[in-house]
Amino acid sequence: MSRKRVLTARSLRRLEGTLFIAPWVIGFIAFLGFPLLFSLYMSFHTVKILPNKVAYDFVGLKFYREIILNSSALYDKLIPYFQEVVLMVPVIVIFALMISILLNQKLYGRFLFRAIFFLPVIFSTGAVLLQFINQGEGNLGFLERFELGGYLDTFLGDSSWAKPVKEVLNHFVLVLWYSGVQILIFLAGLQTISTSAYESARIDGATPWEVFWKITLPAMSPFILLNLIYTVVDMFTFPSNPVIELVNTGNYGFNSALAWIYFFIIIIFLGLVILIYSIMNRRHAKNYV
Amino acid sequence: MQEIQMMTTKRTWSAKWQDFVFAVRQVDRTQIGIAIGLTPLAIFMLLPLFYIFNHAFKPLHELFLFPPTFVVREPTIQNFSELLALTESTVVPVARYIFNSIVVTFLATLGMVIFGAMCAYPLAKHKFPGSKIVFGLVLTSLLFATEAIAIPRFVVVQSLGIMNTYWGHVLPMIAMPVGVFLLKQFMDQVPNELIEAAKIDGASEFFIFLRIVIPIVSPAMATITILAFQSAWGNAETSTLFMQDDAMKTLPFYMGTLTSNLANSVARQGAAAAGALIMFIPSLLVFLVSQRKVITTMAHSGIK
Repeated sequence: MSRKRVLTARSLRRLEGTLFIAPWVIGFIAFLGFPLLFSLYMSFHTVKILPNKVAYDFVGLKFYREIILNSSALYDKLIPYFQEVVLMVPVIVIFALMISILLNQKLYGRFLFRAIFFLPVIFSTGAVLLQFINQGEGNLGFLERFELGGYLDTFLGDSSWAKPVKEVLNHFVLVLWYSGVQILIFLAGLQTISTSAYESARIDGATPWEVFWKITLPAMSPFILLNLIYTVVDMFTFPSNPVIELVNTGNYGFNSALAWIYFFIIIIFLGLVILIYSIMNRRHAKNYV
Repeated sequence: MQEIQMMTTKRTWSAKWQDFVFAVRQVDRTQIGIAIGLTPLAIFMLLPLFYIFNHAFKPLHELFLFPPTFVVREPTIQNFSELLALTESTVVPVARYIFNSIVVTFLATLGMVIFGAMCAYPLAKHKFPGSKIVFGLVLTSLLFATEAIAIPRFVVVQSLGIMNTYWGHVLPMIAMPVGVFLLKQFMDQVPNELIEAAKIDGASEFFIFLRIVIPIVSPAMATITILAFQSAWGNAETSTLFMQDDAMKTLPFYMGTLTSNLANSVARQGAAAAGALIMFIPSLLVFLVSQRKVITTMAHSGIK
């Protein structure tokens, strides 16, 4: 080699890594990182748009205090939606897990089935689903048709959970349509389990039930966590979500404060989900190993 | 030469038929059970697709039926002719919007997929100092809806001087955290032994990335392509915020103006329904092309 080495292998590797990561990170800082910090700045100010410039008047924590203590806007919209999310997330994840296990079976025509179940991905991100919900197609009159609404009322009584439960049942079709990406993630995860594990279990005489709990589920647990995070994030940032609609109205300082409060609520919620997941994971590991 | 080719095709056809017959004989009860269980759900999944197509062909009086109907009773192309008539009367020709949309979607999808993958690879496979912080940033930015940061974004775009250019459309979209997040999770699954073996054989990082990691995570790449295309194709936000020049706006923005600019939401509903179908068809095509990749099995071979 005629050229002299100026870089050690280690720093060369670092340089390469940096080069790989740089374009995205620069874009991220410019269009997400900086705007986020800027919105934090705005949340402490009253923003006035004047003909020649934008004026920021410092108001401190005024908007935060207003939202948390005085306004009913956040609570009225957030709490019902929150209850819905609490119910929807496990339903979506369990449903996606079941479907993906079925789709992973040797089944004639499973390519067709997989394509169909993955189809919601192109609806859920687009405006199509929104239009669909607005048209009232999401519920298909499921409860009315089977008169389940009445049973639910007697069963759940007057508690504040009656409405969200009904809502979720009503939107069962939507659950199917929310779960496209989740099904895909699980399918990819299922294919990381080697077939020899299943074979040896079968030779040892394990029932399918035991195989599911002892082989499939432990191997799937990182993907369950991934899906939990993805589903929570997806639900909370979905454009039809009432809080996001709220963020789009009102003045900029107030909006930014609201967005940050909302952000912390999601973080806390996500933290709880991860905590519950890790507790259940540990318990499962104790029982079945 | 041609004869040989013909013979081989013939043979493969008969082989395929034999495979099919064999598969049919192999079907056992559980498979039939699964198929029966999945079919109604699959039909549910197909409902929106079915609905969009039917909705576009409904005459005006059927569009407002309550409860809404899935199947069109008197199909008509009146909606499409209404849309065509509308497009002829615009100041900026609609072909311009379509052209803008195609350019923007192509560039943005390409950028999101390539830069997302390039960012995800070191995050997954090289634990460089600060990689956890970068990934933490990706995760937290996932939690913010872009609606919340519209104003600061406007400031950034303005100060970069890319208002009313294609860059103004493309650059804000490229930093898509979902892509990096999903790709990183999938690249974690790539066996380290493969990468090390390639390194011992003298492959450069770029070669490893392009020839080993990307092919293995190709299902995830296809998914990201679909998601990126979706978000770029349906994005009216950049047109509304960063484009004052009408000639630089995109098709979703135009479709949005069909109904939302009017005070009552009754007028032009037919044209909007036809427009929704036209907007949807490219998504469906991209999906149908990419999903072949998505549903093929992940390649985890090479390690025993």
